[in-house]
Amino acid sequence: MPQRNEEDLALSRRAARGDHVAFALLVEKYEAPLRSFLARMGAGDLADDIAQEAFIKAWRAAGQYDGRARYSTWLTRIAWRCRLDQLRRQRPVENDEPAGQGGIEDEVQDMLARLGDGERAALVLCEGHGWTHSEAAELLSLPLGTLKSTVARAKSKCREMWSQQ
Amino acid sequence: MNDFDQFLRDTLGPQDRHPDRLFVARVQAQVRLDERLSARRRAIGLRLLRDSLGVAAIAAGLVVLAESPAVSELAAGSPEIFVAGLLAAFGSVVLLFSNPGRSSPFAAD
Repeated sequence: MPQRNEEDLALSRRAARGDHVAFALLVEKYEAPLRSFLARMGAGDLADDIAQEAFIKAWRAAGQYDGRARYSTWLTRIAWRCRLDQLRRQRPVENDEPAGQGGIEDEVQDMLARLGDGERAALVLCEGHGWTHSEAAELLSLPLGTLKSTVARAKSKCREMWSQQ
Repeated sequence: MNDFDQFLRDTLGPQDRHPDRLFVARVQAQVRLDERLSARRRAIGLRLLRDSLGVAAIAAGLVVLAESPAVSELAAGSPEIFVAGLLAAFGSVVLLFSNPGRSSPFAAD
């Protein structure tokens, strides 16, 4: 088991025994990538709420983290399910894309908004967050080959949009 | 790595920044609230179980009493005394389970 996983496993086990300080350390470590991922998923203003819900679920299930996967992978899986639940609750006509601030950030959000949820998640995790294809395939419940083609397709679409700008 | 790959990495990856203490504090507060609510849910469940057992025990006692010959004779001979006894027993049960002195799981901490 990698050292980082061991550290996180130890913290998670302490959290499972009710140690708030240990859990706060995990939140400090992983709030930035998780919130960034959710924001890129188009969650907009709800990104922080979904991240918070994911951390609460991670606290309740702290004893279930076994250190085989990275803690960030385990946590993102929880957050991804929260995001899917939120999308199911949301009315289809509702647009949750945030109002743009202008500039490159707007362009990126616009580019991502044109991708499907799965494509967006695969692209952000593999190209932006440095996840392996296997980790992303597991998160998205896709066969490895399908995940690779999803990333390639998403990348190709983005490249086309990028070259037009 | 070409320009496009670099662009993706720069724009899609998480920003390198210090932890957001306010967010961490909010999660901590939610965790504590969640713990308190879980404890209350457990307390309510235990109290419901205890009260149900109590009611079942009283009901079983009443059934046994009603089946005894002495009580059957009393019910046949003096129904008004029998009904008054039943009402008194019912009143005692109501008083027992609605005693304001019992701790309420909804009480503020």
